[in-house]
Amino acid sequence: MSGENQGGAIVPYSEEAKKPVVYPLRHGLKPPISRLGISWSRGNSLRVTVFQQPSEDSENEVGGKAVEVRLDGRDGEISDAQWRRIAYGSVSPFALLQSRKNSFASLSKISSTTSPFDAEWWEYVLEYSKDISSLLGNQTSTTQSLIEDPKEVLKDPEPSNLKAAWELMESFYADKLSQAWLPERLVDWLADYDSLFSSTQETVHSKLVDFQKDLVSLQVIEDEPKYWEVMSSALAVGWLDIVVKLLRLHGSYQLDQLGNRETENGLVEAVAVLISKMPRMRPELEAGKLGECFKAKPDFMKAWEKWRAQIAKLECSTFWIQCAHRQTQEGLRNMLQIMLGNTNNLCTLTCHWMELYIAHFLYIRPFTVGLESMYGLAQKCIQLKPMAASHRLMGLLIGILGENIEVVLAECSKGFGPWMVTHAIEVLTAGSHQADTLLHEERDNLGGISMEELHRLVYAQVLSSHPLTWQIAPIYLTSCIKQGMGLLEMLLYKQPVDHNQLLLKNLEICRLYELDSVSSNIMKIAGMYNWKHGKKGSGVYWLQQARDEARLNRIAQQMFDSVGRSISDESFRQWEGLIQLLGSEPKTAGGLEFLHNYRDFKKSLLQIRDGKTTDAARQAVESLISLMKNPCTPQRFWLPLLHDSLKLLNWEERPLLNVLQTNLLLNKLQELSIARLRPDFIEADLPPHALSSVRLALATNLGRTTLEEQ
Amino acid sequence: MAITGVRTPPQVHRFPQSKYIDAVRWLPPLSPLSKLAVLAIYDTDADSPSLETHSISLPASLTPHSQWTPPTRISSLSTSHQSLVAASTLSGSLHVLSSAMQVLLSVDENSGFHVGPISGVDLTGSDCVSVGEDGRVNLVSVIGGGEFKRVYDGNGLVGFNCVKWASPTEFVTGGFGYGLQWWDLRRAGSGGPVLQFKGNFGSQGKASGMIHSVDIHPSRKHTCLAGGSSGTVFAWDLRWQQQSIVLSGVGTGEAVTHSLSESEVWEVQYDCHTKSSNISSSRVLPAMFCSEDGILAVVEQGEEPFELLAEPCAINSFDIDPQNPSDVICSLEWESIAIVSRP
Repeated sequence: MSGENQGGAIVPYSEEAKKPVVYPLRHGLKPPISRLGISWSRGNSLRVTVFQQPSEDSENEVGGKAVEVRLDGRDGEISDAQWRRIAYGSVSPFALLQSRKNSFASLSKISSTTSPFDAEWWEYVLEYSKDISSLLGNQTSTTQSLIEDPKEVLKDPEPSNLKAAWELMESFYADKLSQAWLPERLVDWLADYDSLFSSTQETVHSKLVDFQKDLVSLQVIEDEPKYWEVMSSALAVGWLDIVVKLLRLHGSYQLDQLGNRETENGLVEAVAVLISKMPRMRPELEAGKLGECFKAKPDFMKAWEKWRAQIAKLECSTFWIQCAHRQTQEGLRNMLQIMLGNTNNLCTLTCHWMELYIAHFLYIRPFTVGLESMYGLAQKCIQLKPMAASHRLMGLLIGILGENIEVVLAECSKGFGPWMVTHAIEVLTAGSHQADTLLHEERDNLGGISMEELHRLVYAQVLSSHPLTWQIAPIYLTSCIKQGMGLLEMLLYKQPVDHNQLLLKNLEICRLYELDSVSSNIMKIAGMYNWKHGKKGSGVYWLQQARDEARLNRIAQQMFDSVGRSISDESFRQWEGLIQLLGSEPKTAGGLEFLHNYRDFKKSLLQIRDGKTTDAARQAVESLISLMKNPCTPQRFWLPLLHDSLKLLNWEERPLLNVLQTNLLLNKLQELSIARLRPDFIEADLPPHALSSVRLALATNLGRTTLEEQ
Repeated sequence: MAITGVRTPPQVHRFPQSKYIDAVRWLPPLSPLSKLAVLAIYDTDADSPSLETHSISLPASLTPHSQWTPPTRISSLSTSHQSLVAASTLSGSLHVLSSAMQVLLSVDENSGFHVGPISGVDLTGSDCVSVGEDGRVNLVSVIGGGEFKRVYDGNGLVGFNCVKWASPTEFVTGGFGYGLQWWDLRRAGSGGPVLQFKGNFGSQGKASGMIHSVDIHPSRKHTCLAGGSSGTVFAWDLRWQQQSIVLSGVGTGEAVTHSLSESEVWEVQYDCHTKSSNISSSRVLPAMFCSEDGILAVVEQGEEPFELLAEPCAINSFDIDPQNPSDVICSLEWESIAIVSRP
């Protein structure tokens, strides 16, 4: 085992990690390259920008190129798409557990007797753990074909390291009921996942796989030494069903040979029966697995002694002399030695320490309890039979057995990534008070956050970096008390606003977490984006949604200009839709309310130009007055409005404005004259005599209307 | 959620895709034993869009059939009874394909067709209408060979999200401010919609909303079904233009007490599988909708709504099989397809 004495490092690291990895860049540019820019792109990619030396004669040549380099930090076992599926699937169990935790916390505030480590809480954590586990792949035993091939001894499931790691966490921390029979849980675990170690070294599983290939071509199976060796190895690690199945392939079972190999067959069958009667300290066995289960320790011990006595008796039996087949005799007695716990046999037949460890549990120290003694035994086995290469699962197991929470966390993080740590913490904290305090303690060296929060934040960052998973990051961020909300706001602000669908999904998250100010800021950003990109309608819509009076007023001024320029009927039609959108509510329309009035005003003026009657003129005056009265109408448009209305002011038939109205307009004009003296006043694009002609017209009108009213 | 009467829950088949599904539509089946659907797919990692047909045989299989690569990501999808598929893209081009994914017609985005993404298309017979946030409404005839006719240009002052044919000469569009517009090509000279409606469902905190989807029942073209922001599903009857019949939604006052969804309703369709107890012509026919908060449900005027699906992620689009209306296909945010078979 490497890393035991690496300068006091908590996490052992392998030599491979130090090797530099070379990623070729395909930019297709001719040298010389003048400059390189490197920045993070989304996810696990780097964006490398390559700039070419600018040359004089290269007008149509590209000046540079940006390429993305994917850094493949992950193991090839799980593809990106599968990771995303796991991420999606773990949202619901995680969220459910958090909400249960919160309701437990509020309960325990009321009655101090309820602690989160109640029996009920264990069940929730176990349920969570099982939900997560089911995401990581199918249970290995579910693939059962209807017609069983007698020569097929091994099923072919594809276990993953991640699932194996999760099961370890579940057995040791989440499943309270399994605490009493942890060694047997490890037996099951190795049976499911021994194949994971086959890539770096020989395992009992790989031996069986090899032998299964030869099995079809073997004529006299019991003459083959490999047959006996493979069976003994499988027996050593407790794969009893496979051993019994193989034993029954023994030639003496064949009907034509049964007569003259009776004793031999009797011995084979006796061993097979002994194997299938092996006492096991566990509540139950899966269908198809062999052994007799005992829940209580005294019963188990009694049965164990009895079973061992039967084996010893068979070992000393005289029938062995009568067995003519040498290989059978040796092979069977070897297997008896295994069951009697012969250390040398076990050591030679197993391939790595974990297998030897399991063999110890089964045949040498079946009464082992407690993590301390399990850890001691593991250390012994590692010395006897070290692994060919360090394996991340073994690192994790050692950490768990050594009861070192920090090592377990580090191994989870190093070997299986942020997803694993974040979700495993839930199980870890449920498992021990020590882990609970360690993970929830606020640390100054982490900027005042706890380790739990740190790992959640890291995982949330990973989720945030991908366009398909950023939407689930808020679930994790909101469970981080200290920095979660701040990062959530940043995440939401960072999302692009150019597509309505995405924008609405973003706003929906704001709504769920009641982030009203973020939501309104995003709408403002979207409003300005759309406005600048010529989508005036949607720009106004979003600013209205954000109730952004200030921007709406500024937009109103811009629009006033463009509306002012286009007086023809055709272009007015285009404004209809926008005016319709604004609706009649002055509150939401903001400064755009004048558009309504201005449209009516222009319409009436148009009718007058076309030779329509006094009625139109009266309407125009009404619109003019309401425009001038409205505080939303910007000052700089007063003069253009009045200038447009010259014809109304000088209406020939009779004055259209009464004294009050004329006075209002005159006051406005006065106000305007004063305002013109200020340096920031913007002069309207009108003929120089505009002001004086308006003043003259108003004065004339006042005279006429005063006369008329008298 | 109270469920009236005894309803057998529908069977749900899920098909994880490992790519994002932008839209789904049924197509007429190629053989009587299987179904055919067209999926607008987007591979985020490779940044590559595709349009694929898949044959589906329930309960368990979804097999890719044929495939076509559009220039950019697909924004809207429509299928016709003649097995034609119309697909619009985010870059503003429109493509009409056969169910074998042979391109019959393409309108390039550079031809002045639309500015920016096309947000909605609808294909009926040989006529395709397209609308965008740029405020343009265009007509493309499948037999016209890539020529398009501009019905209206809003110059970005208005924008449309969705469109649906009512008759060969009439269609309805939906957009901002819960706005619906009714268009009549026979009166195209007027240069704008014939009728307009602006919904006023503003709840506290939200000024207004958008329409994301519209539908019209072939036998009742005077009633437009629309779905949009804040879980709103309503019907607009042209015979009573100034008011609307709200089927679902929040903050709509005393009229609606039940609302299944509070977020964006992405798609609505009339549901001909749910038999209405009252078939008076003044009543709105049963409607199905899907929403951002993961609801697929049927709503009916004056009846309790009922859920078909409640997912932990958004349901972005769905389609009721016209051949066999008990089957509904939907695309889920978390890169998967679900097929709901109702008893």
